[in-house]
Amino acid sequence: MTTTIQYILSGLAIGGIYALVALGFHIMWSAARAVNFAHGDTLMLGAVLAVVGVDAEIPLPIACLLGIIAGAVFGVLLERFAIRPFTATSNSIGWMLTTIAVGVMIESLATLQFGGFSRPLASPGVKSAVHILGAGVYPQELAIPVFALLVMFGLKLMQRHTLVGRAMQAVAHDKRAAALMGINVNRIVAFSFALASLLGAAAGVLVAPVIQVSASMGALLGLKGFAVAIIGGITSAPGVVISGLCFGIMEKFVEGYISTAAREIIGFSVMILVLLAFPHGLFGKREVLKV
Amino acid sequence: MFLQTMVRSSVAVAAVLGFFSTAAHAEQEPCIGNSAATTGPAAFGGQSIKMGAEIAIDEINAKGGVLGKPLRFVQYDDAGAPPRGVDNTRRVALSDKCVAILGGYHSTVAVAQAEPVNEIGIPYVGVLAANTKAIENGKTPNFMFRVSAKDKWVARFLVEQALKSSKTGKIAFLYENTGWGNGALPDVKDAMSKVGKELVAAETFNWADQDMTPQIIRARDAGADLVLLWALDREGNQILRSMDKVGWKPPIIGAWGIAGNLGELAGPLANGVEVIQTYTFMGSMDPKKQAFWDKLKAKYGIKDPSEIKMGSGVANAYDAVYIIAKAIEKAGSYDWAKVREALYTVNYDGLVASYEPAFDAKDPERQDAILPKYYKLTVWTDGKLLPLEQTSYGKSN
Repeated sequence: MTTTIQYILSGLAIGGIYALVALGFHIMWSAARAVNFAHGDTLMLGAVLAVVGVDAEIPLPIACLLGIIAGAVFGVLLERFAIRPFTATSNSIGWMLTTIAVGVMIESLATLQFGGFSRPLASPGVKSAVHILGAGVYPQELAIPVFALLVMFGLKLMQRHTLVGRAMQAVAHDKRAAALMGINVNRIVAFSFALASLLGAAAGVLVAPVIQVSASMGALLGLKGFAVAIIGGITSAPGVVISGLCFGIMEKFVEGYISTAAREIIGFSVMILVLLAFPHGLFGKREVLKV
Repeated sequence: MFLQTMVRSSVAVAAVLGFFSTAAHAEQEPCIGNSAATTGPAAFGGQSIKMGAEIAIDEINAKGGVLGKPLRFVQYDDAGAPPRGVDNTRRVALSDKCVAILGGYHSTVAVAQAEPVNEIGIPYVGVLAANTKAIENGKTPNFMFRVSAKDKWVARFLVEQALKSSKTGKIAFLYENTGWGNGALPDVKDAMSKVGKELVAAETFNWADQDMTPQIIRARDAGADLVLLWALDREGNQILRSMDKVGWKPPIIGAWGIAGNLGELAGPLANGVEVIQTYTFMGSMDPKKQAFWDKLKAKYGIKDPSEIKMGSGVANAYDAVYIIAKAIEKAGSYDWAKVREALYTVNYDGLVASYEPAFDAKDPERQDAILPKYYKLTVWTDGKLLPLEQTSYGKSN
């Protein structure tokens, strides 16, 4: 029993990270029909800058805040220079290459500047474990899925009740019609990338005390987060969060009852099977294309 | 016609290549090469080799060099990639014409280098990578040597230490799913079976895994009362944290992957974790170590011994350069084959060990110079990795 609960709690923590990354993909895709494949590196950027800030003797909360803001700025710049020029025609896929390229460059630059070692980011959330029905977990780990759920509900509220949220939906639905209605499409797309990157960098700062900060921390998380977004249906915020949490829990049970080596094999097999059965993801809606 | 031309030109190319390779073999120069990671996550490995080798070469040159000429050191980056290591080996041997080449940090690179090293016939002296098969590769004559730890012996040494500390003799082995970790598994199993025991659990994990509670729970439930660990600092930290979460705190003895910054990452959780080394600058220094440390400080502007992340690499490289220099003097020539022969006759009292002789031509296991009796246990104590005997952990044993 304790073991089962341990796997669920550990799985929720890991799954929460996937969900947060996947939410970023969801936001970008919803507005631009393109994503930043370097989104995992946005996480890394937020966390690395927070540690660099702490090294420069900036107080911890301010260092974290600076890291998060820098992440948002990175998102805006990336959209302007690596995505927008390559999405002019509807079928262009140049943005895939450019965002991956930017990701590789950022990671190399971070390795050069930050060095090869993982570094800790201090947090009261990992001082000591709390025990729930005999299973142990750090408070910081519990905060990750909670934060993912908060972001999910926040997004829903924003989309329903704010002008910018509705404009985002309009742009997602049909860029040209939205432009004719007087919406500044470019500004909305830029805003959604800023929001996604802000959340990405915040997620980086949030998970850093648990998984440690290194230049390579974002690569695998980015890939898994994207996989989760596809499984959940990238157009559905609750879909990506639920599938992120479930994916994390499933990984822990595979590790626990089969083996660690089987984790990626089973995880990615499940992804392929889900896509065969549900081509738009578990919770995704089929998009009607008007020709 | 086409075929004829092809054949003719291939013959011509072969003749030219043959000419160049004999030319390349003809004259070696007083230089020692090195292929190591000087960029990427293990750049500290390449840095430590450079420091040790350069200080030794400075000392040797101050006394007139070898065979009347000053020694040079050339280092190329392989970033831990085997193909680049192979490329660098050829460059050091055929372009720079160095007398010998030092090895780097990554075992995968060392294993890949064995082939070109033996094909070209240049003496290779490994100074960090500990993979058993890289040096014990079954080739005769074998040009692969090592002045560093060897996983096979490390496994025996650590199993011995583990059985001393374990009350029940039930030992779990946690290892990373890489060439280094998987290569150590048979070594550890062998070492256990030599004393008539078996591991109660052997659990693996991947780089960058964030949580190891399933593996920890399995090892705990198998009844282990001590953990042998083959991990790097980041994963070592995640293991300590997973143990903290499930409330299990067995003694841990690890190979030297957790000798970097585990203390910084895991904080007090790292206290008491023991790590094997061949050398450390931490703790109190004897006069010989102090003199070496003063030179390092002066040349590289280092302020505190804890800034050196791989002290073993510095000292191993220093000793290796001296052994090579003495072999050149004994051979009376920079010739690869003669220097290789002479390596078996060098006696030298080094920083890490007393080499008497450095290598033994009769024993294929003795292409390794540092015997297990020179391995040292260090222990993480409040963020510092100190020699075991200088801490309260050493005294309680």
